[in-house]
Amino acid sequence: MKTFLYNIGYFFKETGRIIRLNILSNIFSIIGTGLILFLLGLVITGSDIGNHLVNMLNEEAEINGYFTKDISDSDRNELVEKIGKIYGVRSARLVNEDEAKKKMEDILGEEAKILELFKENPFEAFVEIRINVDEMENILDNVKNMKGIEYVRDNREVLEKIKDITYAFKVLGYLLIAAVGITTLIILSHMIRQGIYNNREQINTLRLLGSPGAFIGFPYVLTGILLTLLGGILAALSVVLLINTAYEGIGSTVLFLPLPSKNDLIDKMIILIPSLSFILGLMGSLFGLSSIRKK
Amino acid sequence: MIISENVSLIYPDKTQALFDVNLEIKPGELVYITGPSGSGKTSFLKLLMGMEFPTSGSLSVLGETINKSNYGNIQNLRRKIGPVFQEFKLIQGRTALENVMMGMRFLGIKPKLMKEQAHEALEKVGLGLKKYSKVENLSWGESQRVAIARAVARKPLLILADEPTGNLDYDNAINILKLLKSFREEDITVIITTHATHLINNEKDAMFINVYKGRITAERKGLAV
Repeated sequence: MKTFLYNIGYFFKETGRIIRLNILSNIFSIIGTGLILFLLGLVITGSDIGNHLVNMLNEEAEINGYFTKDISDSDRNELVEKIGKIYGVRSARLVNEDEAKKKMEDILGEEAKILELFKENPFEAFVEIRINVDEMENILDNVKNMKGIEYVRDNREVLEKIKDITYAFKVLGYLLIAAVGITTLIILSHMIRQGIYNNREQINTLRLLGSPGAFIGFPYVLTGILLTLLGGILAALSVVLLINTAYEGIGSTVLFLPLPSKNDLIDKMIILIPSLSFILGLMGSLFGLSSIRKK
Repeated sequence: MIISENVSLIYPDKTQALFDVNLEIKPGELVYITGPSGSGKTSFLKLLMGMEFPTSGSLSVLGETINKSNYGNIQNLRRKIGPVFQEFKLIQGRTALENVMMGMRFLGIKPKLMKEQAHEALEKVGLGLKKYSKVENLSWGESQRVAIARAVARKPLLILADEPTGNLDYDNAINILKLLKSFREEDITVIITTHATHLINNEKDAMFINVYKGRITAERKGLAV
């Protein structure tokens, strides 16, 4: 430890020298690593947005129960109360005919004029049930079998499709993380081996003088970490720039899209990508260093 | 210090470099290893540095046993040795001072002291004015001196110099030998291989080891321990 502390300046000088020795190749390595990490950043961001969307929809998930024709007002109220007590139901509320019409007018907007063609209100009263999506099956079974309920309308298909998309995003994310990890490790370890090969005479001399392997290898580990970190910073800046641009574009055109907070996404990318690049840099360097172990 | 008992060395290509070497070198001795090229001098030095391992017999250097299973301790041993390689093994692109310091960085010496020792060693070998010259710009003799400075700046217990007079003119060769011998005053054991016996014929106080076709004969002269 003492030796390392005494030589910190030397290690950094050596790192600079190793990088300069093969400057062009190292610049390409930084750009290559940066691009790979940029792709990773995009997938993670996409996955985050997908997750956020599903969570929002989960919170808003509702099913509507429509009553049989012959049900009395008091039975309707009693039924709503009963539904509200089913496990997994967040809230149950009676929506009368007028409110049902109002809701449709809100959805149709300017097109609501079409409703004026009806002489009588065509909408039926129903029970609006907000649910926990994970309990959807159970709730649907219960509500469907209740006396006084004609049929239940759910948005299961939409929810399940979104869930599938998020799952695909997650799988893609994991695959990409694995691909990025392996690619970065290969690039880096190759780079480190190249550096070691270029300095083989110096390394051999240091060995003959009794230098420990860790002392010889440390500047190479620093080199690997530094190059990957630079790639990581480059990737993080690119992802942040892209998030800013995308939010400005989406924000003004698709107002209803429930996007996660831009700042949260940016903060996450600024921390995650450089940290990941640091870990990959360290691992890649150590992997590459295995080639300078004792002969 | 160095105890060799029935040591033989056979290379993987079956070349037998050393046969049944028995000798003991005591601390502070000046030892010349002579013999024609290819006789086994360098092989013996390689054994002493743990660059090769005895095929049979036992060899102990500065208390460390030289064998394959003891590789972990070989680096410890090398830190106690000041080697002067035949081809110098200086690191190109660095100054003389940087080269000397390079051999000391992993010895746990404080940076200030390390610098002082390196400067002192370079002054001692007469390169005070060329400390900051890149080694590729130095002459053969000057490079030899940098290699010696690197060896002694480490304050070793043992200096191993492989053909330090090779490629040098007579005056320079004599000066290098004088310089190497002078470290004996600091209680350092100095082992020098050379095939130029005419340079050491008048030596009065040293151990002479002659190697011929891998076989060794040793003789002590003068006041040596």
